[in-house]
Amino acid sequence: MTNSINEFDDADLFFITGSNTTAQHPLIGSRIINAKERGAQIILLDPREIPLARFADLHMRQHIGSDVAVLNGMMNIIIEEGLYDKAFVEKRTEGFDQLKAVVSRYTPRVVEKISGIAAHDIEKAARLYAGADKAMLVYAMGITQHTTGTDNVKSCANLSMLTGHIGRPSTGVNPLRGQNNVQGACDMGALPNVYSGYQPVIDATVKKKFEEAWKRENLDDKPGLTITDMMTAAQNGAVRAIYIMGENPLMSDPDTSHIEHALSSLDFLVVQDIFLTETASRADVVLPAASFAEKEGTYTNTERRVQLSRQAIPPPGSARPDWEIICDVSRLAGYPMNYESTADIMKEINALTPSYAGITWERLEKGQGIQWPCPNEEHGGTPYLHRDRFSKGMGTFLPCDFKPVAEVPDEEYDFMLTTGRIYYHYHTGTMTRRTSILEREAPAPLIEINPDDAKRLGIRGNDVIELTSRRGSIKARAELTTRVPRKVVFSTFHFHEAPVNVLTNPAHDPVAKIPEYKGCAVKVRRCI
Amino acid sequence: MKTLAKKDVTRLLKTWTKEYSVLAPARKSSGDCIFEPFQEGSFTLDYGKPSLPPKAVFLPHSDVIFKVEKNEFREVVSAKKTILFGIRSCDMMGIRQSTSFMTRDQKDIYYNEKRIQAITVVMACPGPQNETCFCTTTRSGPVAEKGFDLLFYDMGDTLMIETGSRRGEGLLSSDLFTDMDDALAREKIQIFKEKAAGDIPKVDAVMGAMNKLEDGTADEKVWEYFGNKCIMCGGCAYVCPTCTCFNVYDQESSPGSGLRARAWDTCLFGGFTREASGHNPRSTQASRLKRRHEHKLLYYNRTDIQEALCGCVGCGRCSDYCPVKIGALEVAKAINNER
Repeated sequence: MTNSINEFDDADLFFITGSNTTAQHPLIGSRIINAKERGAQIILLDPREIPLARFADLHMRQHIGSDVAVLNGMMNIIIEEGLYDKAFVEKRTEGFDQLKAVVSRYTPRVVEKISGIAAHDIEKAARLYAGADKAMLVYAMGITQHTTGTDNVKSCANLSMLTGHIGRPSTGVNPLRGQNNVQGACDMGALPNVYSGYQPVIDATVKKKFEEAWKRENLDDKPGLTITDMMTAAQNGAVRAIYIMGENPLMSDPDTSHIEHALSSLDFLVVQDIFLTETASRADVVLPAASFAEKEGTYTNTERRVQLSRQAIPPPGSARPDWEIICDVSRLAGYPMNYESTADIMKEINALTPSYAGITWERLEKGQGIQWPCPNEEHGGTPYLHRDRFSKGMGTFLPCDFKPVAEVPDEEYDFMLTTGRIYYHYHTGTMTRRTSILEREAPAPLIEINPDDAKRLGIRGNDVIELTSRRGSIKARAELTTRVPRKVVFSTFHFHEAPVNVLTNPAHDPVAKIPEYKGCAVKVRRCI
Repeated sequence: MKTLAKKDVTRLLKTWTKEYSVLAPARKSSGDCIFEPFQEGSFTLDYGKPSLPPKAVFLPHSDVIFKVEKNEFREVVSAKKTILFGIRSCDMMGIRQSTSFMTRDQKDIYYNEKRIQAITVVMACPGPQNETCFCTTTRSGPVAEKGFDLLFYDMGDTLMIETGSRRGEGLLSSDLFTDMDDALAREKIQIFKEKAAGDIPKVDAVMGAMNKLEDGTADEKVWEYFGNKCIMCGGCAYVCPTCTCFNVYDQESSPGSGLRARAWDTCLFGGFTREASGHNPRSTQASRLKRRHEHKLLYYNRTDIQEALCGCVGCGRCSDYCPVKIGALEVAKAINNER
């Protein structure tokens, strides 16, 4: 997030897209509900009628994958009607003319055709967002999990810069991170192209710094593979071994049969996890890890706040904290890592990561966490980014054209499947499906289908139905609900009984390599 | 009546720890106050209203009730001699109501054994502990009338101690205590009680809401309004001194071995009432909220509520902690058209 969670309390307007906030970030969702009661406005752009729709001043239900068109349509109106922040655009941005040229093609009528949203609603959304004093743009996986994920994010950024809704409190572009420490994992360089703090592996100065710190020569200066690429490489033999930590790709990656094939092509698979997941049960070696309550360390949350987490209970059996396991593996592989404690590791993070330089263990012990960037120990942390300038100087508009989802429904595969999570379960259910009350709340997979479609196909509530895509089939019970529009079905990736990623399309964004979990073509059949 | 110099409280608690597990208020580094095993370093008498009621002492968040080893089962009733030091009067009433409910006709042995082993030491409130206190409305405070083993009054440098049971009296044999003239003590306590009660305003909306629910004139739209914004976290039930619902689950450790345990549950979850067929008589969050609040304000059991007003003891924690402001106070006010 460019901004902070507390700032939700002062915003005048929320533009929420691709985030089922009350279900996936319920405490942030609560702040939005409370803000609505004090008079803030809500614009929702989401194909599903999520609970926040009850509070929305405007709910636009776009055709899946038409986000760029809708955002361009809003910018078209904002420029056309002169509602943009001219001072901000002039002083802080570049590339306005290119943006104007692209979005001029996205008139409300054109966008209505692409997105299914009425032209007057797009106009209304544009006027509301541009007209607000402090508007927060909030998004989650509904924006990113597309073949156009990067374009979607760029378009969100374009919209916020155009209206000057960035660089001030209670504004900004606010992706809500879907896991408690995915921000921290990325910050620490758990990505193929950067060291910690997003320092590029291709940068010679950076390379030298890490070579000196780690007393190793010739650190690789070529970016590695993304998960998507690794699986393809495993399948064609270019990758022979994979070491997976806290991830369950057999449930979470798209096109499961492709992942199965990739993993079984390996010479060696190691899985480090707290439970024997679907993936772990295929491993040659399973390394039992300690859970969050059984170890100490830090988490970096969605607002870039680094927080200390203490050990509450000892790990069971032979489970150990991940860092200890990694140190041992490294030592046995010939590179001793001599960290005494997590505080010791934090010292190295401080020394090598400019944005974390001032976030010391000692400071974290005293307070409620610190938000990066925090360049030194006197610095109090950064509640919102881009105050006087963008990190690169001027903010560059990066206009994008609309591109449809990779697999558009056709005559045979006539439904669009979109996937996500429900309130009670987390990801592949490794933890939540072992929790009695959560399992009772949501014990079985369901497929949401619109009652009109159900009627046409002779499907009643709770009937077992089958979804088939070009990659496979799953069966689960139907939930008849207008939460999904016609010709769209929704299911989750929580249940091994009906693993939805058997169906999903591995087509991915060309830059970020994120797969298109939010849209693929399926056909629907009632099982007898 | 006995008195104790305030400076001697830690010495007293230290003495008690020889024989009992002593749970006392502690200030954590985050600033929150909770009850935890007495430790001199974190113990505090400046603790206001602790975030959680002491119900976990009797009904732990999860509690093993029997174990199975090699297909043989053995019941587990865990309890230890405990002193609960410094609980608030509202929480004392919560314990009394819950104990009645859990033992009245059918004894819940797991709860009951823990209750029997626990000595309660109440700290009378000299006034509201924060803006959501309404014990004067629910007749559960600021000074407990019954149920306690000992009742402490904070009189500045000294603590005056009222005895509520033989068991309590037995704890006062140390030479740390001094005697005080009974008549003078009664007079001081009277002044304390009047001031404390006077400082905690009555919330008429609670009575108003009870009356409206009783005669069926409460607006149903209230539940829809709250149901729409409830995020179904269950937090209001978890912080409630009188919510004691639990769910039972089994955990297999190896074939033929494992345990059965129970864990906190709440009627605000859909699965609480969902039937085997899938049908749910309380199918909406609005209807579930209605049932929970009606349970407190309308359908309580006359015996279980003791001398209090209803099944809510006025601690105000649900109003303190609900992320979307659906606490007993907000609900009562909404029913009473004070929204």
